[in-house]
Amino acid sequence: MLHSQGLNMAATAAGKKVFEVFVSKVPWTVATKEVKEYFRQFGQVKKCLLPFDKETGFHRGFCWIGFTTEEGLQNALQKDPHIIEGARLQVQKNRKPFSGRKSNKEAEDN
Amino acid sequence: MAALLRSARLLKCSPALLLQVTGNTRHAPAAGRLYSGAVGTPHVGLCVQQRGLVKDEPSVAVRSKQAQQFDWALAKLDSSVRRTGRVTKTLLLHIFHDICRTGYPSGNQALLMLRSCGSLLPEVPLVERIELSQRIWDKLQELGATYDVSHYNALLKTYLQNEFRFSPTDFLAKMEAANVQPNRVTYQRLIAAYCEVGDIEGASTILGFMKSKDLPITEAVFNSLATGHARARDMDSAEGILSVMKGAGIEPGPDTYLSLLNVYAEKGDFAKMKQTLEMVENADIHLMDRDLMQVVFSLTKAGHQQYVPEIVERMHHERGYVPDAMNLCLSLITHGHEETAFSVLKSFTGLLVQSQTSDSPDLGNFFLRHCVNMDKSVENIVRFCKDLKDSGLHSSPLQFTLQCSLEAKKTGMAVELMRRMKEEGVPLRPHYFWPLFTHYQKEKNISGTLQALRAMQELGVASDMDTFSIYILPSFPSVDSARTSLKEAGIDVDANILIAAELRAEASRGNLAGLFSLKPLLKSPLHLLLQITELLCKDPRFNSTEPETSENVAYFLYNLIDSMNETEVHSKEEQLREYFGLLKNMNISISLNIFRGIRNILESYQVPELVKEIACFHVVKYGGCWSVTSHHSKPVVSICVSMCVVELCLSHQKLERALELKILYEADMTPAAYAMLINLCCRHDNAEEALKLKMELARKDSEVALDAQKYVALVRVLSKHGKLEEAIDMLKEMKEKDVQLRDGTISLLTLTMNTAAMKGDANSIRRLQEAIFTLGLAKPSSNLCSPLITCYLESGNYAGAFDATVEVHKQYNQMPKIHDLICGLVEKGDAELLQNVVEFLSQERGEMMMLYDLYFAFLQTGRYKEARKIIETPGLRARPTRLQWFAEKCIAAQQMEPLENMVDMTVKLFECDRDDMYHCLLRLCKETNDWQKAEATWMKMQEENLAPRERTLRLLADILKNNDKEVPFEVPEAYDMLKEAGSTGMVLGPAPYDTLIKALLAKGNIEDAMAVKNIATDHVPEFSLSDNANSLLIVSQVKRCQMKDALGTLKGMLQADQVPSQLAITRLVQGLASEGNTQDIQEVEALVKTLGSIKLSSMLFVNNAALAHIKNEDIDSAVELLQSFYIQNTDNQKSSISFVFRKVLDANNDAALDKLSAMVERLCNHFASYRAATDLFLMYLDTGRTEEAKFLLQVLCCILLPVQAAKIKALSELIPDFTEKENIYSHLVKCCGLDKDFSSAKALYERMQAEGVKADELTLKRLALLYKEAGEPVPFEEPPESFSFYADKLKKQRSESMEPADC
Repeated sequence: MLHSQGLNMAATAAGKKVFEVFVSKVPWTVATKEVKEYFRQFGQVKKCLLPFDKETGFHRGFCWIGFTTEEGLQNALQKDPHIIEGARLQVQKNRKPFSGRKSNKEAEDN
Repeated sequence: MAALLRSARLLKCSPALLLQVTGNTRHAPAAGRLYSGAVGTPHVGLCVQQRGLVKDEPSVAVRSKQAQQFDWALAKLDSSVRRTGRVTKTLLLHIFHDICRTGYPSGNQALLMLRSCGSLLPEVPLVERIELSQRIWDKLQELGATYDVSHYNALLKTYLQNEFRFSPTDFLAKMEAANVQPNRVTYQRLIAAYCEVGDIEGASTILGFMKSKDLPITEAVFNSLATGHARARDMDSAEGILSVMKGAGIEPGPDTYLSLLNVYAEKGDFAKMKQTLEMVENADIHLMDRDLMQVVFSLTKAGHQQYVPEIVERMHHERGYVPDAMNLCLSLITHGHEETAFSVLKSFTGLLVQSQTSDSPDLGNFFLRHCVNMDKSVENIVRFCKDLKDSGLHSSPLQFTLQCSLEAKKTGMAVELMRRMKEEGVPLRPHYFWPLFTHYQKEKNISGTLQALRAMQELGVASDMDTFSIYILPSFPSVDSARTSLKEAGIDVDANILIAAELRAEASRGNLAGLFSLKPLLKSPLHLLLQITELLCKDPRFNSTEPETSENVAYFLYNLIDSMNETEVHSKEEQLREYFGLLKNMNISISLNIFRGIRNILESYQVPELVKEIACFHVVKYGGCWSVTSHHSKPVVSICVSMCVVELCLSHQKLERALELKILYEADMTPAAYAMLINLCCRHDNAEEALKLKMELARKDSEVALDAQKYVALVRVLSKHGKLEEAIDMLKEMKEKDVQLRDGTISLLTLTMNTAAMKGDANSIRRLQEAIFTLGLAKPSSNLCSPLITCYLESGNYAGAFDATVEVHKQYNQMPKIHDLICGLVEKGDAELLQNVVEFLSQERGEMMMLYDLYFAFLQTGRYKEARKIIETPGLRARPTRLQWFAEKCIAAQQMEPLENMVDMTVKLFECDRDDMYHCLLRLCKETNDWQKAEATWMKMQEENLAPRERTLRLLADILKNNDKEVPFEVPEAYDMLKEAGSTGMVLGPAPYDTLIKALLAKGNIEDAMAVKNIATDHVPEFSLSDNANSLLIVSQVKRCQMKDALGTLKGMLQADQVPSQLAITRLVQGLASEGNTQDIQEVEALVKTLGSIKLSSMLFVNNAALAHIKNEDIDSAVELLQSFYIQNTDNQKSSISFVFRKVLDANNDAALDKLSAMVERLCNHFASYRAATDLFLMYLDTGRTEEAKFLLQVLCCILLPVQAAKIKALSELIPDFTEKENIYSHLVKCCGLDKDFSSAKALYERMQAEGVKADELTLKRLALLYKEAGEPVPFEEPPESFSFYADKLKKQRSESMEPADC
């Protein structure tokens, strides 16, 4: 028990985020709670990080979801399309660990 | 009046021709709209001006920079207009501020700005547009832009488009005062202005002016008059314009009918409108959709919107209809006709659907957004939303509108919209209010915050903890005042949420101390404790992988336990146990030290249950953990192997050796080592091996990408060796891995294809070209396309070359090597093919360009008679870029004869800039140092009565001086001239001063530069140095070690909202470092941080701060700084401190070097941070300190490889003269001991003996132990004393042996 935990931690310490998906095109109307609720159907959600821009008060349209199990991750990845409140989310396996990268907010008119 | 008009017939100018001109503008592509409306728009840059010696004009450099900026701004505006047919106010203001900030605006920029202030801004109310154009006009003039007639005409156009009422006579007076002559366009627009208000008399006066100046009366004038008569309520005359025009020999065009249609529309006379539309059809005139939209606009403005649908039905939905219709909607909304706008919107939603890309419909966003921006009533907006939703055009219009109103910070509207949403049953969420709170928070507007909170409460949205901690509390000076205010405002808050939010607010300020001061709170119920811990875990600030911050949670725990006394712990044991249990599920990890601390406390309180509980936490050991498992030693081996490979590749170019090493240690090869090897293979022209390695690398790690240069080198070597498919695969891989090509690498691609061209392998070139372009690795360019043509030209296959030219032009729209092709044909005398080429060129690039091509070919081949015939073709005019191109070619190839001939032949060429021509000729004279030719040129210039520019005179003087010849004229020194200008009372604009100051600063002449600045300030009171000049000043000041002044200049710049150049900051920081001024470095760092946009090396401040410490002989601080830099952030592994090493090595600063290398070892040893080691190693190699490099490698091996004996052994073999073998062997034996690897140890011992390496006692002791453990007899006498005895002895020996060296 302890041993496997140790290994797990070693992996985390080495910067390898396991079971994490990167979600983009999150509509502005939903917040952490809603996103988390949505992804719960695929497995237990350990973490949901939806960064808000403190300058604007809007979130940046993307988030990271961490599942407790590989299965949750796979379930989420297999589902297509992901629709939340009528908007289609883009879900992909997270490649880079979270770092505070900025999004360029595009003003789109039509 | 009629008589006046009829006389138009007598004008010399053919009206048909003019009509053609106006017709052209109307059908010009979207980009042309920026310049539309003005017949005879001056062609910027083509006019030749004979300039005097001193004129208010910027230097070439400034002009070229301005040209670049102009291009950039133009491109931005152009793309906006092309895509949408409009410009946003934000974009326009952005460009305007940029122009203002970067110094002195050019005339072109001013023109561009002014032209964008009219109907290209449909979203902006007229009043605002007028203000904007006026502001731009005044500001740019103040900044020194010179206005000519084109500017005044542009201003007039915005007046007309913005329905601005002004006095035309005043306008003329203004122009006269500025000494600018009005032209035909000016008069036309003034007539239009009179007609707008129905002032026919005024219009007639202007017409009189035009007539007296013999200016042609064009269709535009008649169109205006039609409007004018109508506005003067004289419809008969308005309608009569058609016959008057015919009488004057001018055919009415679409614009004439459009004027009439608009006139009827204003009257609401739909019968006449229909009649006119029929007339238009019968006259075979095509009214464009955009014209009809104007009619719609007129109808609506005059209150006759009931006819709008009938006009809308007549639209053809031409290309570009959608953006035009959108602009119509926007204009209508801006003018307060959103209802009509909505009906127009609904008429073309069908067209919008086609461009819909997302799954859920969201049509009409632009409409809703503009309604919000224009503060339309919520009533109306909600109705539009409902309509859009009910007709399936938009899935969530209310939410979108709410988003717009939140973005626009319109609280009232947002709240009202939310109320409607609630009524509709749409859920409301706390974060909908956050944009409002951020807004109030920034303004510290407490009443606004409370108001929004109250609205929240009224709408039944529960404010959660995030809302409080991030968005509400920071607006208040303290939590207490927040609590009071909330209470007073009658806002109910859950007390627990408030406390938690408070904690969170403290935590997010990174204020752990503050957090602990709230400790009493921690003795509150369990769920609060949990909430707090969870906060700490979830907040990305505390939950990163960085050891330092992730420890916060652990510290919190520790402090929690520490703050409780024994009785408390006992009384809450159950609670704490539960708490720990819950924490465990949250995957909390704590470091070993803290775990021990907590455990010790708990043990001392004798609560074994809790100790057990806490032992189940994930305990992480930070640092040093690499040695615990074999997994961690992996990077260590890799770095050693890689270093060796790198060394072999870099310094010895020993491919074979490197390959051998690679084979032995394949498993430990890092991608970087592979990349080096591959590149080395490419350099050795070994395609097979390179490809093999590349495939191997891909097998190991398919994600990894080489850099662009290495990929291209690979492509080159592969294609050179006939591996075309593989080469193309590499190109594809580059695309897949998103490898960006720079200019340098792109030219390598050209080179690759040229190699194929020399072999006549057209097929390969085609394939490569196709791959490069279709993959989008590089845009088709003349250079990239030229190898294919070269391929045919080289073999003398001109027909093939021509076919290839046609092909390349068709496919990639490039026409490379055309000059070479024509030259070849001219020399060969192949008239038939030449005819084909000429026809092709005329067709594709126009006759003018073709003539130039032919002209240059004749010049190049020495057929000057033919060349002259060509250049004297009637109607041919100067194309400065083309002339310049040929001149540059001649200068580069030092071909005087064709250049001289060109200069002679172009004397009478229309609009040819003679000074430019002579300047080129003199440049070649300078290259060849031919003073006689230069002198002859000077004579010719006098013959031509040419006043050369300053630069030309200077060049001539240079050539003469270099040959000890007398300079027969005075060379003006800019500085002297300026002083002279000042004394004669000549007034200059700011631009020449700035240029001169920059020139002086570039020479490091601060005194003169400041003197000029003073002169400038005397003459132009608001004069200040531009960004560039100030940046140069900083550089000069640093050069002179005037650091205080330099820092002052920087501060001044930042205050004036100027942006210093990257170079200036770098030099300043380096200068401060060389003075050991760490404090100012910090200050600069803080100052520059506020700039944000500037690109600086991320290491600039770290490296220079370290150097400053070293300069102060405070090496420990430097070490501390660098060490903590690498330890604190694992991302920093990418950042190099080579600069520090380089400086220290250059200064031969041994003391610093010692401590730094100790740091390097420490970083490797304790923190698994290898970047500094790599930097130092490479810097040793770079500076030729091979010995030190080897030593470092050896030390690293020893430190890092306790369990990797075999590998060190092999490494030591591969690096042939590895010194101090004893040392290595003793370490190897130690490794074997740790590995309990007896057989290796035995082999080692035998080898040591064979090589005659003497083993020290400690090593013998170790070996003996191994032999004994393996049950084998010890083949030597085991040293009698203990391990520690010999270890101490060895240590002592070593330190003694070091001492003599130190003396």
